[in-house]
Amino acid sequence: MRISTKQSRELELLSKAYEKSGRNIATLLDKNIASLIITGNKVLGLNNVTGVEVLPRQISHGVEADINIQPNIVLNRPIHICTGFLEKRGMQKIVFNIRIGDNSSVKFVAHCTFPWVEEFTHEALSNVWIGKNAKMSYMDEHHHSESGSINLKTTTKAFVSKGGYYFNSFVLTKTRVGVLNFNAEVELDDDAVAEMVTKIKASHNDRVMVREKIDLIGSHSRGIAKSVIVALDEAQARVVNEAYGRGDYSKGHIKCEEITKGKHVQVSTVPVLKVFNDLSELTHEASIGRVNAKQLETLMSKGLTEEEATNLIVKGLVS
Amino acid sequence: MLCLEKVSLRRQDKYILKDIDMCFEPGKRYVVLGTNGAGKSSLAYTIMGLTDYRPTEGHIVLDGTDITDFSVFQRASLGITLLWQEPARFQGLTVRQYLSLGGKISVEEKELKEVLSVVGLSPNLYLNRMVDELLSGGERKRIELASVLLLKPKYAIVDEPDSGIDIMSLNMIQDVIQLIQDRGGTPIVITHREEIALSAEEGFLLCNGSIWKKGKASELIEYYKERCDRCEHANAPVTEEGENE
Repeated sequence: MRISTKQSRELELLSKAYEKSGRNIATLLDKNIASLIITGNKVLGLNNVTGVEVLPRQISHGVEADINIQPNIVLNRPIHICTGFLEKRGMQKIVFNIRIGDNSSVKFVAHCTFPWVEEFTHEALSNVWIGKNAKMSYMDEHHHSESGSINLKTTTKAFVSKGGYYFNSFVLTKTRVGVLNFNAEVELDDDAVAEMVTKIKASHNDRVMVREKIDLIGSHSRGIAKSVIVALDEAQARVVNEAYGRGDYSKGHIKCEEITKGKHVQVSTVPVLKVFNDLSELTHEASIGRVNAKQLETLMSKGLTEEEATNLIVKGLVS
Repeated sequence: MLCLEKVSLRRQDKYILKDIDMCFEPGKRYVVLGTNGAGKSSLAYTIMGLTDYRPTEGHIVLDGTDITDFSVFQRASLGITLLWQEPARFQGLTVRQYLSLGGKISVEEKELKEVLSVVGLSPNLYLNRMVDELLSGGERKRIELASVLLLKPKYAIVDEPDSGIDIMSLNMIQDVIQLIQDRGGTPIVITHREEIALSAEEGFLLCNGSIWKKGKASELIEYYKERCDRCEHANAPVTEEGENE
């Protein structure tokens, strides 16, 4: 990976931000690992390995990248993506067009770090296409500043071909959220499987909107969408989980857990299940409110105060 | 000494527990017997002070201090703990975190491994596993036994320790209860299993929320086997005179 002198200063800053979120940027610089490093609208680093083609280009306020995995490629080490914004104010747009070839298997580890922003909008769009019998995992973790003034809009549109597997996780639990509008939808062909997990801890006056949609188009397709939201203080959260059963013997499950702590929190969950085929089966489960009493009293019966027990349960939920 | 003095627990017009008088002397081992629905678990929850199980009448006294209004945490701080019949699951918490209560109690790695070995779980396989739905009922119960061992309680209410655990592991359960006692604790064991009950010195037989008999564990077991096992009016007890209580 080549980095110019001018860019190396930015890398140094990004490295600090990365370390702040508990990571080591050296991982991204390993030439044996496919990686993409973005700050603002610049590509700071890029490394491709056999079978992986990452083609980034600058766009207005950001970067768009085509990420192509050739067929029959099995990557033993994940592709690392680091997206940073090191200024205090501004906007960033990120577009990823990810295409996984048939029978390939790949994992992405993505980190978005905006540690010093005060007024900032981040828009991310991921278009994902997963080939036949291919597997893809995308684990996205965010670290924001504690200003609570980030406006984050993230949209993922995925299609999983016959026999393919898609796992997507979005985690924002270690810092303030700001305003989040999270959208993820996946369409599944025959025998395709998808799992989507969202974990968010909102505090102060954070605002969270989560929408996850699973469209079970193909026969024997299966999908699960799971959201865990912890809302503290005056935070507001709204979760809409949708599942559509169209394919024969398709199965979908949606689950939402919203834990509240604070007199002024506002949370809601709306499950939407629609069946268009009498051979399809959809289920949902939801819990909303304070920490589970049995869990709480179990820990209190071992000597934790209510506060300590609540914190430990929440820590586990969002870990 | 831990005593319940005329403790009753009433929900609307129904008594879940009624006029319970019982004392547990430090260092002894007790058994609580009774058919399903007799009030055994309600008694355990009442002693622990769980929500909805606060006595509507009577007092709970520990070493002369009235703890009736104490919270679960306060009672635990005084050395009372509960081994749950069906322990809760915790998403995202490892066995290590659970046993050390998120780091609140400092436990050496060696001790963690020892207690897991005592309850028949391999430390290498379990310390970093989650205490979640992926554990079987038996595995979860063993972790709960390990947790109680680590706490070294003065009074351990052990609610059906054998439920969910294979019959071959009865010796392990006996060992855990013995260890609690060896470490200065007073096990109060709720059980249906004769082998476990027999190892207690004294006990109480509950029926319909009241103490029906108290005394030596061995005598209570004989009475239970003879009268309660096939009782046609379980929890609607009949007095010696043939009248319903």
